[in-house]
Amino acid sequence: MRADQPITPPIGGGLEGELRRRTLAVFGRSLHIRTVDTGSCAVCESEIRLLASPHYDLHRLGFFFTPAPRHADLLMVTGPAIRAADNLLLKVVQATPDPKAVLAVGACALGGVYCEDELVHGAVDRVVPVDVYVPGCPPSPLALLQGLLVAVGRLEERVAALSMDLDAPGPAADGGDAS
Amino acid sequence: MAIWFFRGLRKGIATTRYPKTLDPWTRDLPTPPAFHSRRLTSGLADALAEACPSGAIRRAGPDLVIDLGRCTCCGRCLELAGDAAAPSGEFQLATVDRSGLVKRVPIRGDHGSRA
Repeated sequence: MRADQPITPPIGGGLEGELRRRTLAVFGRSLHIRTVDTGSCAVCESEIRLLASPHYDLHRLGFFFTPAPRHADLLMVTGPAIRAADNLLLKVVQATPDPKAVLAVGACALGGVYCEDELVHGAVDRVVPVDVYVPGCPPSPLALLQGLLVAVGRLEERVAALSMDLDAPGPAADGGDAS
Repeated sequence: MAIWFFRGLRKGIATTRYPKTLDPWTRDLPTPPAFHSRRLTSGLADALAEACPSGAIRRAGPDLVIDLGRCTCCGRCLELAGDAAAPSGEFQLATVDRSGLVKRVPIRGDHGSRA
């Protein structure tokens, strides 16, 4: 399985999509976060820790850190999902009451740094379903804040409209030329 | 950095207004690369794919594929590509759709030498 083929289906229409949207809306102004480290280098943790600093102050937005997964609504999973942490990760996800959301934080968790081998899975979504992906190595605390706000549906994601082609004439490339 | 520090001293508030406005220091954050498709040649694309340490850049037929999720913003592609690449300046990359992070840039710099 490749990293660009997630196992989490996007929120679609119909009854299921509506249910998922509503559960996210419930978290809107009071969301408790538990971090889970699956073998990261701790720089992502350092950035997550900065969210509670006076400059970023995630409490003003209604987010809180909690020390126990049983009190958590959202899991921030960092690291490349080492196989030795499988048990830990599955236990934490099971201990978190539904409805819950899982954030994969950092390039490791998104399949960037480690390839799949006998020691690591290489990406978090190969082990547990992931709701929001936050790229970055490490993601800036503001990128993490955006990830949290996207997770509770308070901010639109920007990636879909993003083009990495600086010469693209518009949203739709006209093709045609290029000799 | 210095701006919020002085604002904090003046008004007693050091906190960012993030979802409303973007702090000026975010311009200095490392961001994934964006490419000028007209300056991309297939030789350069292969070299970029070779140089990317995290496998975020790869070649797929007529396109250069950039996986923003895998990118560690190390800057090696920017060094290698010269004026064909520039930092995209976009760090707010959180998404619910993993495949949305995989971007394609057509390679349009080869004049008449396409296979």
